[in-house]
Amino acid sequence: MVALALARGDQALARSLVDEIISGRFQPATPTFLNCGKQQRGELVSCFLLRIEDNMESIGRSINSALQLSKRGGGVAFLLSNIRESGAPIKRIENQSSGIIPIMKLLEDAFSYANQLGARQGAGAVYLNAHHPDILRFLDTKRENADEKIRIKTLSLGVTIPDITFELAKRNDDMYLFSPYDVERVYGVPFGDISVTEKYHEMVADARIRKHKINARAFFQTLAELQFESGYPYIMFEDTVNRANPIAGRINMSNLCSEILQVNTPTQYDDDLGYREVGQDISCNLGSMNIAKVMDAGDISTSVEIAIRGLTAVSEMSNLQSVPSIAEGNAKSRAIGLGQMNLHGFLAREHIYYGSDEGLDFTNLYFYCVAFHAIRASNRLAIEHGEAFAGFEDSTYALGTFFDKYTDQAWLPRTEKVRQLFERSGIALPTQQDWQALKASVMAHGLYNRNLQAVPPTGSISYINHSTSSIHPVAAKIEIRKEGKLGRVYYPAPFLNEANFDYFQDAYEIGPEKIIDTYAEASQHVDQGLSLTLFFPDTATTRDINKAQIHAWRKGIKTLYYIRLRQSALEGTEVEGCVSCTL
Amino acid sequence: MNMMQRLSRVDAINWNRLEDDKDLEVWNRLTSNFWLPEKVPLSNDIQSWNTLTPQEKQLTIRVFTGLTLLDTIQSSVGAPVLMDDARTPHEEAVYTNIAFMESVHARSYSSIFSTLCNTRDVDDAFRWSEENPTLQMKSELILSRYRSDDPLMRKVASVFLESFLFYSGFYLPMYWSSHAKLTNTADLIRLIIRDEAVHGYYVGYKFQQALAEATPERQQEVKDYAYELLLELYDNEVRYTESLYDEVGLTEDVKKFLHYNANKALMNLGFEPLFPSSVTDVDPTIMAALSPSADENHDFFSGSGSSYVIGKAVATEDDDWAF
Repeated sequence: MVALALARGDQALARSLVDEIISGRFQPATPTFLNCGKQQRGELVSCFLLRIEDNMESIGRSINSALQLSKRGGGVAFLLSNIRESGAPIKRIENQSSGIIPIMKLLEDAFSYANQLGARQGAGAVYLNAHHPDILRFLDTKRENADEKIRIKTLSLGVTIPDITFELAKRNDDMYLFSPYDVERVYGVPFGDISVTEKYHEMVADARIRKHKINARAFFQTLAELQFESGYPYIMFEDTVNRANPIAGRINMSNLCSEILQVNTPTQYDDDLGYREVGQDISCNLGSMNIAKVMDAGDISTSVEIAIRGLTAVSEMSNLQSVPSIAEGNAKSRAIGLGQMNLHGFLAREHIYYGSDEGLDFTNLYFYCVAFHAIRASNRLAIEHGEAFAGFEDSTYALGTFFDKYTDQAWLPRTEKVRQLFERSGIALPTQQDWQALKASVMAHGLYNRNLQAVPPTGSISYINHSTSSIHPVAAKIEIRKEGKLGRVYYPAPFLNEANFDYFQDAYEIGPEKIIDTYAEASQHVDQGLSLTLFFPDTATTRDINKAQIHAWRKGIKTLYYIRLRQSALEGTEVEGCVSCTL
Repeated sequence: MNMMQRLSRVDAINWNRLEDDKDLEVWNRLTSNFWLPEKVPLSNDIQSWNTLTPQEKQLTIRVFTGLTLLDTIQSSVGAPVLMDDARTPHEEAVYTNIAFMESVHARSYSSIFSTLCNTRDVDDAFRWSEENPTLQMKSELILSRYRSDDPLMRKVASVFLESFLFYSGFYLPMYWSSHAKLTNTADLIRLIIRDEAVHGYYVGYKFQQALAEATPERQQEVKDYAYELLLELYDNEVRYTESLYDEVGLTEDVKKFLHYNANKALMNLGFEPLFPSSVTDVDPTIMAALSPSADENHDFFSGSGSSYVIGKAVATEDDDWAF
């Protein structure tokens, strides 16, 4: 039914989709899988990202959008960086604004009210720039003993950190926080659209911009303390993300799973809340491929192409008129996010340790292949439709510079084992000539989708698909998961048997470095982001977390998702024996 | 009495001079486990609560009022009397933490009530708890030991309360959670269980230390006395369990759970288990729901779960920033 709905009358496509979905190679995201083809349904799209501008119309509209989008689809993320700080002037009267916290409260309540006919709870995230003056208040909302009035329970938090913050921390300097109200008046653009790294010293010197300072290392420590207590905030390395972005424009936020990274533009409103100018906000249709099944089938080109076509169909079929800026963004960009899962399952089955040299080698080349075939599929779609996404001409795809890293050097296996794996499955690695040809075709005809890849955390769908989540290591050989409707669910790792038992080290044993290294290999071939969770034992300190963050930033990781901690039961208090297997 | 050296005067506590490393270990564990009920998004259980039958709702409220009473005893009487018997100032400090957390637990049940139930039902349940003979008997049995002047028996009573008596009540939220109901409430109860497990273990440890110093005759006397008290509590607990769970037909399963935890309490005291394994085969779904180790996997739709702790803050050094 999902395939029929997505193929919209194209029999060949419907058959191919059925083939890919039933074989388990391609798995659409939960909202698509849950809602496709139903008459009474929510939306097919997983994820939405919206800006909020520094005016009451925009704030009011955002609450409404939170309700509308939660009613229809998945998670919604909002950008708070543009909002003036608490104590900022309103109508030039000093000390009037109450800042971002009350807005977060309103959003949280809006999300808990709306759910899709009870199928899925509304969920939301908010992102704030590290140099926003309310940053510490923002983080403190997650403290254990925070006052009820400011305490945020179910809303997820994310912080965008520019490179300059790391430089300042390196020198153990103070970091200045800048008033978004003043920045917007001085530069004429919202704070979120400014590169803090670029303008930092200029803004520090500018007397018109109000600022105060905190110690940069203390900021990172506070960040880690909060991650201990709550797992939040997510982190987006703002400058890394923008350097890797092939599309013209600025990325200033991510989403609820920190894998969507797309540009946006502001919306302007009339006094009656009508739209003066509809900007572009972000939505994303996700789906993931099962790495083990794709390798087994051996036709990665077809698998990727069908997945791209399926996801594109979701984008085209989505009707998101309730939030015009989302509809506008979707119509112009047709952005999709193709993800991958079951990396650990595949590696362990092949007796390769996660994060080992062979593991990294494979990750690199697999994503290298996916990137090639995804771009080619989108290029074919552009040729068929005679149309590229809006803004293609300003992208590095159109310039051709995007392809430099693929045409200037050959990408080959470093290890014998990985060479054999690709040989066995019959998957040919694209050559420099292949890339040259693709580059020429893309520059001539464009791409149909503005964004192609994004690796989501894959909760439910990887369980359905019998695979390990995303490209993470397993959290345990037998994972326990809390499902809203089912309670605790037990899930043994796929392919787990006595011979490969040792290869299923869990994420806490593997440690943050190897996870980061694995993600770094994949990141270089993914145009958007990858949800990356870090795992620590409870003996870790905030310093260990900070070190991992620095390592991630240096490795070119784009975003960090949750921090997970495992506390072992105090000796003498644990439940005896392993109970999971007796169930 | 005389074998316990009481702290006669108050000296400033020096955590850098430990007489017993266990004090610090437990203190660190307890403080890093600090939590407040506001952390758990209980309101997500409202829909699930509404699917329970009136009978099940009444049972749940009653079970929680029973637990509230036990936590209140432990906070206002139990931990303070143990404090008097403390062997080291650090042990005393640990009891202040225990006393406070017990108050937090008692407060948590009220959070559950105010989120899920209406006031009249709750008031009815509190009245029921005041009038229920077995519940009152249970509190009387423990309180009389707390008021006695035998410090060893005070510890025994405390361990039985922490490791045994609570569990007839904990059974129900674990049962609901294994049937996918009130899962956020279960998260909160799991946080309580995480604390109680440490409390029972620690008091038992201190008990064993004190007992080892006693004469063999005295040791035997205390042991007999402990088993006697356990049997007395057990008989009463069975009646209490029947009065609660008969209507929903869970009594037999709860009893197995009682046996299991009675053995656990005896183990904490360093004594041999009383019930053979044939009557302690608790339903594995309950045991799994109970597991305090935090290997649960979350996603953004789950609450904060039971795994987060307050971390140790350590400043970064220049080396860490060498890039």
